[in-house]
Amino acid sequence: MTGRADPWLRRFLSACRTGPSAVVGMAALLVVCAMALYSVFLDGRDPFDIVSLPHRAPTFVGPLPLGTDYLGRDLAVCLLAGAAPTLSVAAVAAGLAMVLGVALGALAGFFGGRLDDLLMRFTEFFQVLPALLFAMVLVTLWSPSPTTIALTIGFVAWPPTARLARAEFLRIRDLEYVVAARAAGAGAGHLMWRVILPNAAPPLIVSATLVVTTAILFEAALSFLGLGDPDTMSWGQIIGANREYVLDAWWPVAFPGLAIFLTVLAVSLLGDGLNRILDPKSDGA
Amino acid sequence: MYRFGRILARLAFALVLAAAPALADGRPGGSLVILSTQVPRHVNGALQSGVAVAIPSTQIFASLLRYDAEWNPEPYLAESWQVSDDGLSVTLKLVAGATFHDGRPVTSEDVAFSILAIRDNHPFKSMFAPVEAVETPDPGTAVIRLGRPHPALLLALSPALAPILPKHVYGDGQDLRTHPANVAAVGAGPFRLAEFQPGEHIILKRYENFFLPGRPYLDEIVIRYLPDVSTLLLAMERGEGDLRPFATGSQEIRRLRQVDRLAVTNAGYAALGPINWLAFNTRSPKLADRRVRQAIAYAIDRDYIVGTLHHGVSVAQRGPIVEGSPFFDPTVPAYDLDLDKARGLLAEVGLGDGLQLTVDYVPGLVEQQKNLAEYLKSQLKKIGIDVTVRTSPDTATWASRIAGHDFEMTMDTVFNWGDPVIGVHRTYLSSNIRPGVVWSNTQSYADARVDALLEAAAVELDPARRKQLYAEFQQIVATDLPVYWLNLLPFHTAYDRRLGNPPLSIWGVLSPMDELYWIKDK
Repeated sequence: MTGRADPWLRRFLSACRTGPSAVVGMAALLVVCAMALYSVFLDGRDPFDIVSLPHRAPTFVGPLPLGTDYLGRDLAVCLLAGAAPTLSVAAVAAGLAMVLGVALGALAGFFGGRLDDLLMRFTEFFQVLPALLFAMVLVTLWSPSPTTIALTIGFVAWPPTARLARAEFLRIRDLEYVVAARAAGAGAGHLMWRVILPNAAPPLIVSATLVVTTAILFEAALSFLGLGDPDTMSWGQIIGANREYVLDAWWPVAFPGLAIFLTVLAVSLLGDGLNRILDPKSDGA
Repeated sequence: MYRFGRILARLAFALVLAAAPALADGRPGGSLVILSTQVPRHVNGALQSGVAVAIPSTQIFASLLRYDAEWNPEPYLAESWQVSDDGLSVTLKLVAGATFHDGRPVTSEDVAFSILAIRDNHPFKSMFAPVEAVETPDPGTAVIRLGRPHPALLLALSPALAPILPKHVYGDGQDLRTHPANVAAVGAGPFRLAEFQPGEHIILKRYENFFLPGRPYLDEIVIRYLPDVSTLLLAMERGEGDLRPFATGSQEIRRLRQVDRLAVTNAGYAALGPINWLAFNTRSPKLADRRVRQAIAYAIDRDYIVGTLHHGVSVAQRGPIVEGSPFFDPTVPAYDLDLDKARGLLAEVGLGDGLQLTVDYVPGLVEQQKNLAEYLKSQLKKIGIDVTVRTSPDTATWASRIAGHDFEMTMDTVFNWGDPVIGVHRTYLSSNIRPGVVWSNTQSYADARVDALLEAAAVELDPARRKQLYAEFQQIVATDLPVYWLNLLPFHTAYDRRLGNPPLSIWGVLSPMDELYWIKDK
C-alpha cells in the first residue's frame, strides 16, 4: 500500500482485511446478476411453457434438475427467468424510495422550522401506516403489474430514508465547512446538492441496501398474497402460486425461497461491508 | 369410499321411506354441525339464491316442491299440483296443517305473496317473469296464472329458489330487501332460526310443529363460519364439524378423503350445475371468426385439465347444459386435443403467423381460474397465439371489466341453476346482451336460430320436444363456441359416515335436511 493509492481503493482493501462480508456479498450479488443476464440467453425456453407433468420431484441432474411446478413448468428455467424481474422490481423500488426519501429528508433537515414540521408530520403519517397493508391497497387500486408493484413498494418504503436523510442534513448543515460555504455566498441548492449531500452519502448508501432487501421481500410478500402479476415470473410469484400445494411438493416453494434468502443476505452483507468502507472513522483500522 | 357412501345413502334412504316416521337404524335427535366459509348477510332466499344464503334459508323456509336425486319433483308444501293443458295455469293443493314458526297456518295467500315477491325482488328474473297473477280460490289452493307456458316453473318452485314467506310478517309494507325479518326469519321449514351471529354462526332448532310427521329427526343444526379453507379443513380433521359442503380445492378434497370418519362425494350439485368455462368476446375482431374460437378449443386438453391440473377431482363438461341434466346432449362436438387441426383453422383465417390475446380470470378459485388461465398461455403458444394473463385484484374489478365488455377472453364460472331457462338462456340470448351486467351475454353472441330455439324451449310443455329443442341449441352453440366449456367445478360434500340420508339430491345442501339423522351406535 503506497500512500498515493486511491483512498477509496485503500479503504476497500482495508475493509476486505477487516471483514470480508462486502466481498462475499458483492460476489453473491454478481452471481444473481449473472443469473438475471443468463435468463436473457435461455434461447427460447419460455419459463411459462408446460414441459412435463406437474410436481415432478427435483433430480438435480438431467433435463429437469429442480423438478416442475403445479402446472408442469420447468422450475430451473422459472428460477433463472425470475432473477431479472425480481432484481429490477427491487432496484426500481429502492431507487424511488431513495429519491423520495432523500429529497424530503434533505428539505426538512436543511430548512428546518415550519417546513421541517410539515414534512416530518407528512412522513410520520406514512410511517404509522402498516407498510404491507398500504402496499396491498395501492396494488389493488392500480392493478398488479411489475411497474405498479415496483412503484408501490418504492412509495411505501421511503419514510425511514427520509428520517435518516433529515438527521444527516440537520447534523451537517451547521458544521463549519457548510457555514464557510454559506458565507462564501453559496445558494441553498448548491449547499444541499454539492456540499452536504456528498458528506451525508455514506449512511444513505448503506440504507439503500436495506431498502433493496425490503423491496425484494415486499415483492415476495405481495406475490405470496396473490397480488403479484401471473404474467411476470418473479421469485415471489413462484412461491405465491405454489404455496397452495406445499404439502404435495416442497421444491417449487423451497428453491425460490432459498434464492430470495441468499439474495437478501448478499445485499445485506454488501451494505455491511460498504458501511465499513465508507465510514471515514474505520479507515486504516 | 365414494361409492360406499352412495350405497349407504341409498340404503338409508330406502329404510327411511319404508319405515318413516320411525327410524329403523337411527335415533332421533342430536345436533349437526355444518362448517362453511361462505358467510350470509341475511337468510331470506326470496332475495337471492347464493350458496351462503340458501343453506340456512332452505332449512328455515319450506317451498312448494322439492326434488330427489333423479330430478323428480316431490310434494312438499304442495301435496299435489296440476298444470293445465294450455300450460297457462298451475293449480297447487297445499298440505293441511302446515304452520309457520309463529304458529300461524300456511295459506294460499302466503304462496301468492311469496311468488310475486320473488318475481319482483330476486335477480333470477326468468324464474317467475311469465307469472301474471296468483289466485287464491280457497286457503288450501293456489293457482298460478301465466302469460305464456312456462315449463321451468316447477324447478323454480324448489327450496333454494322459491321459499314461502309468511305474508303477515314480510307483507307489512316494508321494503323486502331491507326487511328486519331477513335476519330474524320466520318460515314454515323443518328448523327455526334460534340464533344468527353474522359471520360467526347460525343456530337452527327443530320446529316441533313441522307439517311432516316425525320430522325433522335432528334437534339442531349449527352452521359455523370459518375465515378460510385451511382453518375449516383443520376443524374437519379434528372432528369439529359433521358436514362440509362446497369443498372445491383438489388438495382439500384429497385431505378430506383421508379422514376415516368422513365420506366424500361430488353428488348433490347437479341442479346447481357450476360450469367452468372460457368465454370469448365475439365482438373482438380477433375472435369474431368462429374458426379462431374452434382452433383455441382444439388446442385445449380437457383431459389434462381435469385429470392432471385438478388431480382428478373435477369432471369434464362438453356443453352449455350440465352433463348431469336430462337436457344435456351427449353428441355435441367435443373438440378433442388436435394441435394440427387448430393450426390449420388459424391458417384458414389468415392468422397462421400468430395472434395476440389477453385472458382474464376470476380471482379466488385459484385452481379453477388462475391456473387454467396460465395453462392457456402455455398451451395456446403451441398454435402461435401469444396470451397475456390479465390479473384483477378482486372479483369486483373483474366483474366490472367483463360487464363492460372490456376483455378478449376470460375464464368464468357460471351456474345452471336447475332449469336451462334460469341459468343457461342468459348466456346465449341476443336479447340478453346487456352492457354493465355481469353473467349476461357478455360474449355479445347473437344467432337468430339460437334465439328462436331458446324462446321455443322456454314455452314447450312436452318434455321430449323440449329436449329436442335444447339438443339443436347445444349443437349450434357448440359449433359457434361463444364460450368453450371446460369442466364442472369439483364441488364436494364431506360428511360423517354415521349420518343417515346425507344431502345428495340434485340440490344437495340447498334443500331441507329434515330427513337427515344419526345412525344408532352399534
